[in-house]
Amino acid sequence: MARVVVVTSGKGGVGKTTSCASIGTALAMQGHRTVLIDFDVGLRNLDLVMGCERRVVYDLINVTTGEAKLSQALIKDKRLDGLFMLPASQTRDKDALTYEGVGEVIETLKEEFDFIICDSPAGIERGAVMAMYYADEAIVVTNPEVSSVRDSDRIIGLLDSKTRKAEEGESVRSHLLITRYDPERVEHADMMSVQDIEEILAIPVVGVIPESPAVLRASNQGVPVVHDSDSDAGQAYSDTVARFLGEELPMRFTELERKGLFSRMFGGRR
Amino acid sequence: MKRLRDFFQKESCQSADIARERLKVMISQDRMQRNQPDFLPRLQSELVEVIRRYTQSEQDDIQISYHCLPQRSQIELNVSWPRNLP
Ligand SMILES: Nc1ncnc2c1ncn2[C@@H]1O[C@H](COP(=O)(O)OP(=O)(O)OP(=O)(O)O)[C@@H](O)[C@H]1O
Ligand SMILES: [Mg+2]
Repeated sequence: MARVVVVTSGKGGVGKTTSCASIGTALAMQGHRTVLIDFDVGLRNLDLVMGCERRVVYDLINVTTGEAKLSQALIKDKRLDGLFMLPASQTRDKDALTYEGVGEVIETLKEEFDFIICDSPAGIERGAVMAMYYADEAIVVTNPEVSSVRDSDRIIGLLDSKTRKAEEGESVRSHLLITRYDPERVEHADMMSVQDIEEILAIPVVGVIPESPAVLRASNQGVPVVHDSDSDAGQAYSDTVARFLGEELPMRFTELERKGLFSRMFGGRR
Repeated sequence: MKRLRDFFQKESCQSADIARERLKVMISQDRMQRNQPDFLPRLQSELVEVIRRYTQSEQDDIQISYHCLPQRSQIELNVSWPRNLP
Protein backbone atom coordinates (compact mmCIF):
# COMPACT_ATOMS: atom_id res chain seq x y z
CA MET A 1 0.00 0.00 0.00
CA ALA A 2 1.36 3.39 -1.01
CA ARG A 3 1.84 5.86 1.83
CA VAL A 4 1.08 9.52 1.24
CA VAL A 5 3.19 11.71 3.52
CA VAL A 6 2.98 15.49 3.85
CA VAL A 7 5.97 17.47 5.06
CA THR A 8 4.48 20.55 6.66
CA SER A 9 5.22 23.24 9.25
CA GLY A 10 3.05 26.33 9.27
CA LYS A 11 5.97 28.71 9.59
CA GLY A 12 8.10 29.33 6.52
CA GLY A 13 11.78 28.63 6.06
CA VAL A 14 12.08 25.97 8.74
CA GLY A 15 13.45 23.24 6.45
CA LYS A 16 10.47 21.49 4.82
CA THR A 17 11.95 21.40 1.33
CA THR A 18 15.39 20.41 2.60
CA SER A 19 13.77 17.61 4.61
CA CYS A 20 11.56 16.45 1.77
CA ALA A 21 14.53 16.11 -0.56
CA SER A 22 16.61 14.14 1.93
CA ILE A 23 13.79 11.96 3.21
CA GLY A 24 12.69 11.07 -0.32
CA THR A 25 16.27 10.36 -1.33
CA ALA A 26 16.89 8.14 1.69
CA LEU A 27 13.69 6.19 1.02
CA ALA A 28 14.77 5.61 -2.57
CA MET A 29 18.24 4.57 -1.39
CA GLN A 30 16.53 1.82 0.57
CA GLY A 31 14.76 0.64 -2.57
CA HIS A 32 11.35 2.23 -2.01
CA ARG A 33 9.80 3.72 -5.11
CA THR A 34 9.31 7.33 -4.12
CA VAL A 35 7.85 10.44 -5.71
CA LEU A 36 8.15 13.97 -4.35
CA ILE A 37 5.44 16.49 -5.14
CA ASP A 38 6.16 20.20 -4.81
CA PHE A 39 2.96 21.94 -3.67
CA ASP A 40 4.61 25.33 -3.30
CA VAL A 41 2.84 26.98 -6.23
CA GLY A 42 4.64 30.12 -7.33
CA LEU A 43 7.87 29.45 -5.49
CA ARG A 44 9.07 26.09 -6.79
CA ASN A 45 12.06 25.15 -4.68
CA LEU A 46 12.21 21.40 -4.48
CA ASP A 47 13.64 21.00 -7.99
CA LEU A 48 16.51 23.31 -6.98
CA VAL A 49 17.33 21.32 -3.87
CA MET A 50 17.11 18.10 -5.90
CA GLY A 51 19.30 19.62 -8.62
CA CYS A 52 16.89 18.97 -11.49
CA GLU A 53 15.66 22.50 -12.21
CA ARG A 54 16.91 22.45 -15.78
CA ARG A 55 14.84 19.44 -16.62
CA VAL A 56 11.49 20.91 -15.57
CA VAL A 57 9.11 21.05 -18.52
CA TYR A 58 5.65 20.44 -17.13
CA ASP A 59 4.35 20.80 -13.61
CA LEU A 60 1.63 19.60 -11.25
CA ILE A 61 -0.93 22.11 -12.54
CA ASN A 62 -0.30 21.11 -16.17
CA VAL A 63 -1.13 17.56 -15.16
CA THR A 64 -4.28 18.42 -13.20
CA THR A 65 -5.59 20.50 -16.10
CA GLY A 66 -4.78 17.81 -18.64
CA GLU A 67 -2.20 19.87 -20.53
CA ALA A 68 0.42 17.24 -19.86
CA LYS A 69 0.41 13.57 -19.00
CA LEU A 70 1.74 12.53 -15.63
CA SER A 71 4.53 10.59 -17.32
CA GLN A 72 5.61 13.76 -19.14
CA ALA A 73 5.76 15.84 -15.98
CA LEU A 74 7.55 13.38 -13.70
CA ILE A 75 11.30 13.99 -13.52
CA LYS A 76 13.50 11.02 -12.78
CA ASP A 77 16.31 11.60 -10.30
CA LYS A 78 19.71 11.37 -11.98
CA ARG A 79 21.35 9.56 -9.07
CA LEU A 80 18.77 7.05 -7.92
CA ASP A 81 16.45 4.66 -9.64
CA GLY A 82 12.95 4.74 -8.31
CA LEU A 83 13.08 8.40 -7.28
CA PHE A 84 10.95 10.93 -9.13
CA MET A 85 9.65 14.42 -8.60
CA LEU A 86 6.68 16.41 -9.76
CA PRO A 87 7.50 20.13 -9.83
CA ALA A 88 5.26 23.00 -8.75
CA SER A 89 4.08 25.60 -11.17
CA GLN A 90 6.07 28.81 -11.07
CA THR A 91 3.69 31.26 -12.61
CA ARG A 92 0.04 30.37 -12.25
CA ASP A 93 -2.23 31.66 -9.58
CA LYS A 94 -2.43 29.65 -6.41
CA ASP A 95 -6.09 28.73 -6.90
CA ALA A 96 -5.30 26.79 -10.05
CA LEU A 97 -4.88 23.64 -7.98
CA THR A 98 -8.12 21.86 -7.16
CA TYR A 99 -8.82 19.11 -4.66
CA GLU A 100 -10.26 16.89 -7.40
CA GLY A 101 -7.25 17.41 -9.67
CA VAL A 102 -4.74 16.70 -6.91
CA GLY A 103 -6.78 13.71 -5.76
CA GLU A 104 -6.66 12.16 -9.22
CA VAL A 105 -2.91 12.66 -9.54
CA ILE A 106 -2.30 11.09 -6.14
CA GLU A 107 -4.57 8.13 -6.91
CA THR A 108 -2.61 7.46 -10.10
CA LEU A 109 0.74 7.81 -8.35
CA LYS A 110 -0.37 5.34 -5.68
CA GLU A 111 -0.40 2.61 -8.32
CA GLU A 112 3.26 3.20 -9.15
CA PHE A 113 4.93 4.27 -5.94
CA ASP A 114 5.50 3.13 -2.36
CA PHE A 115 5.85 6.66 -1.00
CA ILE A 116 4.31 9.92 -2.15
CA ILE A 117 5.96 12.79 -0.31
CA CYS A 118 4.22 16.17 -0.47
CA ASP A 119 6.28 19.32 0.13
CA SER A 120 3.83 21.80 1.63
CA PRO A 121 4.01 25.56 1.19
CA ALA A 122 4.33 27.63 4.36
CA GLY A 123 1.25 29.04 6.06
CA ILE A 124 -2.01 27.63 7.29
CA GLU A 125 -4.09 28.66 4.28
CA ARG A 126 -5.48 26.83 1.28
CA GLY A 127 -2.12 25.79 -0.18
CA ALA A 128 -1.00 24.09 3.00
CA VAL A 129 -4.39 22.43 3.47
CA MET A 130 -4.31 21.21 -0.13
CA ALA A 131 -0.88 19.63 0.42
CA MET A 132 -2.06 17.76 3.53
CA TYR A 133 -5.57 16.84 2.41
CA TYR A 134 -4.81 13.37 1.01
CA ALA A 135 -2.06 12.49 3.51
CA ASP A 136 -1.98 9.29 5.51
CA GLU A 137 0.94 10.56 7.54
CA ALA A 138 2.57 13.87 8.32
CA ILE A 139 6.08 14.98 9.14
CA VAL A 140 5.73 18.22 11.07
CA VAL A 141 8.95 20.23 10.73
CA THR A 142 9.71 22.54 13.64
CA ASN A 143 12.59 24.76 14.67
CA PRO A 144 13.29 25.22 18.39
CA GLU A 145 11.73 28.64 18.38
CA VAL A 146 8.49 30.05 19.82
CA SER A 147 6.79 31.04 16.56
CA SER A 148 7.71 27.83 14.80
CA VAL A 149 6.42 25.60 17.60
CA ARG A 150 3.20 27.57 17.83
CA ASP A 151 2.59 27.30 14.09
CA SER A 152 3.31 23.59 14.22
CA ASP A 153 0.58 23.23 16.81
CA ARG A 154 -1.82 25.01 14.47
CA ILE A 155 -0.80 22.68 11.66
CA ILE A 156 -1.43 19.69 13.92
CA GLY A 157 -4.90 21.16 14.52
CA LEU A 158 -5.48 21.30 10.76
CA LEU A 159 -4.23 17.74 10.31
CA ASP A 160 -6.82 16.72 12.89
CA SER A 161 -9.68 18.50 11.16
CA LYS A 162 -9.07 19.45 7.53
CA THR A 163 -7.76 16.23 5.99
CA ARG A 164 -9.61 13.44 4.27
CA LYS A 165 -8.58 11.09 7.05
CA ALA A 166 -10.12 13.45 9.60
CA GLU A 167 -13.32 13.68 7.56
CA GLU A 168 -13.51 9.90 7.57
CA GLY A 169 -13.11 9.86 11.35
CA GLU A 170 -9.55 8.56 11.21
CA SER A 171 -6.39 10.42 12.03
CA VAL A 172 -3.24 11.35 10.13
CA ARG A 173 -0.29 9.74 11.84
CA SER A 174 2.02 12.62 12.71
CA HIS A 175 5.75 12.67 13.38
CA LEU A 176 7.76 15.57 14.71
CA LEU A 177 11.01 16.50 12.95
CA ILE A 178 13.06 19.12 14.75
CA THR A 179 15.52 20.87 12.46
CA ARG A 180 18.26 23.47 12.89
CA TYR A 181 18.89 22.19 16.40
CA ASP A 182 21.88 23.63 18.18
CA PRO A 183 22.92 21.57 21.23
CA GLU A 184 25.28 24.29 22.38
CA ARG A 185 22.51 26.85 22.63
CA VAL A 186 20.27 24.30 24.34
CA GLU A 187 23.03 23.69 26.85
CA HIS A 188 23.19 27.42 27.56
CA ALA A 189 19.41 27.47 28.01
CA ASP A 190 18.99 29.78 25.04
CA MET A 191 17.13 27.22 23.01
CA MET A 192 14.28 24.90 23.89
CA SER A 193 15.26 21.27 24.07
CA VAL A 194 13.87 18.30 22.14
CA GLN A 195 12.01 17.26 25.30
CA ASP A 196 10.45 20.71 25.74
CA ILE A 197 9.13 20.75 22.19
CA GLU A 198 7.93 17.16 22.24
CA GLU A 199 6.07 17.78 25.48
CA ILE A 200 4.33 20.88 24.13
CA LEU A 201 3.32 19.45 20.76
CA ALA A 202 2.58 15.96 22.07
CA ILE A 203 3.53 14.03 18.94
CA PRO A 204 6.46 11.61 18.81
CA VAL A 205 9.85 12.81 17.54
CA VAL A 206 11.03 10.99 14.44
CA GLY A 207 14.29 12.90 14.12
CA VAL A 208 16.45 15.83 15.13
CA ILE A 209 18.56 17.53 12.47
CA PRO A 210 21.37 19.73 13.76
CA GLU A 211 22.09 23.20 12.42
CA SER A 212 24.79 22.38 9.93
CA PRO A 213 26.86 24.07 7.22
CA ALA A 214 26.52 20.86 5.21
CA VAL A 215 22.90 21.79 4.42
CA LEU A 216 23.81 24.99 2.59
CA ARG A 217 26.71 23.24 0.86
CA ALA A 218 24.33 20.56 -0.36
CA SER A 219 21.69 22.96 -1.58
CA ASN A 220 24.33 25.01 -3.40
CA GLN A 221 25.21 21.90 -5.33
CA GLY A 222 21.68 20.63 -5.82
CA VAL A 223 22.45 17.38 -4.03
CA PRO A 224 20.23 16.42 -1.07
CA VAL A 225 22.33 16.53 2.10
CA VAL A 226 21.60 12.89 2.91
CA HIS A 227 24.02 11.98 0.08
CA ASP A 228 26.76 13.59 2.21
CA SER A 229 27.07 10.61 4.50
CA ASP A 230 30.02 12.12 6.36
CA SER A 231 28.00 15.12 7.50
CA ASP A 232 26.04 15.33 10.73
CA ALA A 233 22.88 16.54 8.97
CA GLY A 234 23.18 13.78 6.36
CA GLN A 235 23.48 11.11 9.04
CA ALA A 236 20.64 12.64 11.04
CA TYR A 237 18.38 12.41 7.98
CA SER A 238 19.27 8.75 7.38
CA ASP A 239 18.49 8.02 11.02
CA THR A 240 15.19 9.88 10.66
CA VAL A 241 14.15 7.75 7.71
CA ALA A 242 15.19 4.55 9.46
CA ARG A 243 12.96 5.53 12.39
CA PHE A 244 10.19 6.53 10.03
CA LEU A 245 10.37 3.00 8.61
CA GLY A 246 10.05 1.53 12.08
CA GLU A 247 13.59 1.06 13.31
CA GLU A 248 14.42 2.11 16.84
CA LEU A 249 17.50 4.28 16.97
CA PRO A 250 18.79 6.64 19.64
CA MET A 251 18.95 10.33 18.70
CA ARG A 252 22.35 11.61 17.64
CA PHE A 253 23.74 15.15 17.50
CA THR A 254 21.43 16.30 20.29
CA GLU A 255 24.06 16.48 23.01
CA LEU A 256 26.96 18.83 23.14
CA GLU A 257 30.20 17.00 22.47
CA ARG A 258 32.24 17.29 25.61
CA LYS A 259 35.70 18.36 24.66
CA GLY A 260 38.53 17.27 26.85
CA LEU A 261 40.88 19.85 28.27
CA PHE A 262 43.51 18.87 25.74
CA SER A 263 41.38 19.44 22.67
CA ARG A 264 39.97 22.59 24.21
CA MET A 265 43.48 23.98 24.57
CA PHE A 266 44.94 22.74 21.34
CA GLY A 267 42.06 21.73 19.10
CA GLY A 268 41.05 24.27 16.49
CA ARG A 269 37.45 24.96 15.64
CA ARG A 270 35.90 22.46 13.34
CA MET B 1 28.11 20.07 36.03
CA LYS B 2 24.77 21.43 34.91
CA ARG B 3 23.89 22.32 38.51
CA LEU B 4 27.10 24.21 38.88
CA ARG B 5 26.44 26.19 35.76
CA ASP B 6 22.85 26.85 36.75
CA PHE B 7 24.18 28.27 39.98
CA PHE B 8 26.35 30.76 38.21
CA GLN B 9 23.70 31.55 35.63
CA LYS B 10 20.96 32.27 38.18
CA GLU B 11 21.03 35.97 37.40
CA SER B 12 21.09 35.76 33.63
CA CYS B 13 17.63 34.85 32.35
CA GLN B 14 17.07 31.33 31.09
CA SER B 15 15.41 32.35 27.86
CA ALA B 16 14.47 28.80 26.86
CA ASP B 17 12.39 28.48 30.05
CA ILE B 18 10.59 31.70 29.26
CA ALA B 19 9.95 30.50 25.72
CA ARG B 20 8.50 27.25 27.03
CA GLU B 21 6.15 28.97 29.47
CA ARG B 22 4.95 31.51 26.90
CA LEU B 23 4.29 28.72 24.45
CA LYS B 24 2.25 26.72 26.91
CA VAL B 25 -0.07 29.69 27.50
CA MET B 26 -0.36 30.55 23.79
CA ILE B 27 -0.99 27.04 22.70
CA SER B 28 -3.64 26.31 25.29
CA GLN B 29 -5.50 29.44 24.12
CA ASP B 30 -5.07 28.45 20.47
CA ARG B 31 -6.41 24.99 21.15
CA MET B 32 -9.43 26.33 22.98
CA GLN B 33 -10.32 28.65 20.11
CA ARG B 34 -9.73 25.94 17.57
CA ASN B 35 -12.62 23.89 18.88
CA GLN B 36 -15.07 26.74 19.04
CA PRO B 37 -17.74 27.12 16.38
CA ASP B 38 -17.28 30.14 14.13
CA PHE B 39 -20.56 31.69 15.25
CA LEU B 40 -19.57 31.82 18.92
CA PRO B 41 -18.28 35.41 19.06
CA ARG B 42 -21.47 36.67 17.40
CA LEU B 43 -23.69 34.59 19.68
CA GLN B 44 -21.82 35.94 22.68
CA SER B 45 -22.20 39.56 21.74
CA GLU B 46 -25.91 39.13 20.92
CA LEU B 47 -26.53 37.38 24.23
CA VAL B 48 -24.82 40.17 26.11
CA GLU B 49 -26.88 42.73 24.25
CA VAL B 50 -30.17 40.99 25.05
CA ILE B 51 -29.32 40.45 28.71
CA ARG B 52 -28.34 44.05 29.20
CA ARG B 53 -31.61 45.17 27.73
CA TYR B 54 -33.30 43.66 30.82
CA THR B 55 -30.73 43.94 33.58
CA GLN B 56 -28.25 46.54 34.71
CA SER B 57 -25.41 44.09 34.31
CA GLU B 58 -22.00 45.39 33.49
CA GLN B 59 -19.99 43.62 30.84
CA ASP B 60 -18.04 41.85 33.58
CA ASP B 61 -21.25 40.56 35.19
CA ILE B 62 -21.95 38.40 32.18
CA GLN B 63 -19.75 35.39 31.75
CA ILE B 64 -20.15 33.03 28.87
CA SER B 65 -17.94 29.99 28.64
CA TYR B 66 -17.83 27.36 25.98
CA HIS B 67 -17.29 23.68 26.74
CA CYS B 68 -16.60 20.90 24.31
CA LEU B 69 -18.01 17.65 25.68
CA PRO B 70 -17.49 14.31 23.98
CA GLN B 71 -20.95 14.14 22.43
CA ARG B 72 -22.12 17.73 22.49
CA SER B 73 -21.12 21.33 22.90
CA GLN B 74 -22.29 23.46 25.75
CA ILE B 75 -22.27 27.09 26.72
CA GLU B 76 -22.48 28.15 30.29
CA LEU B 77 -24.00 31.50 31.06
CA ASN B 78 -23.51 33.33 34.33
CA VAL B 79 -25.26 36.62 34.80
CA SER B 80 -25.54 38.84 37.82
CA TRP B 81 -26.88 42.38 38.30
CA PRO B 82 -27.26 44.83 41.09
CA ARG B 83 -30.45 44.54 43.15
CA ASN B 84 -32.48 47.64 43.74
CA LEU B 85 -32.94 47.59 47.49
CA PRO B 86 -36.21 49.16 48.65
N1 LIG C 1 19.72 21.79 9.44
C1 LIG C 1 19.99 22.96 8.82
N2 LIG C 1 21.15 23.61 9.05
C2 LIG C 1 21.42 24.78 8.42
N3 LIG C 1 20.59 25.36 7.53
C3 LIG C 1 19.42 24.76 7.26
C4 LIG C 1 19.04 23.54 7.88
N4 LIG C 1 17.81 23.19 7.40
C5 LIG C 1 17.47 24.14 6.53
N5 LIG C 1 18.40 25.10 6.41
C6 LIG C 1 18.37 26.30 5.56
O1 LIG C 1 17.19 27.04 5.85
C7 LIG C 1 16.67 27.63 4.69
C8 LIG C 1 15.21 27.23 4.51
O2 LIG C 1 15.14 25.84 4.26
P1 LIG C 1 13.99 25.22 3.36
O3 LIG C 1 13.88 25.91 2.05
O4 LIG C 1 14.18 23.76 3.36
O5 LIG C 1 12.74 25.60 4.26
P2 LIG C 1 11.20 25.51 3.89
O6 LIG C 1 10.50 25.20 5.16
O7 LIG C 1 10.98 24.61 2.75
O8 LIG C 1 10.90 27.00 3.43
P3 LIG C 1 9.55 27.55 2.74
O9 LIG C 1 8.56 27.69 3.87
O10 LIG C 1 9.95 28.85 2.17
O11 LIG C 1 9.13 26.53 1.74
C9 LIG C 1 17.55 27.18 3.54
O12 LIG C 1 18.46 28.20 3.26
C10 LIG C 1 18.26 25.97 4.08
O13 LIG C 1 19.53 25.81 3.50
MG1 LIG D 1 9.94 24.94 0.88
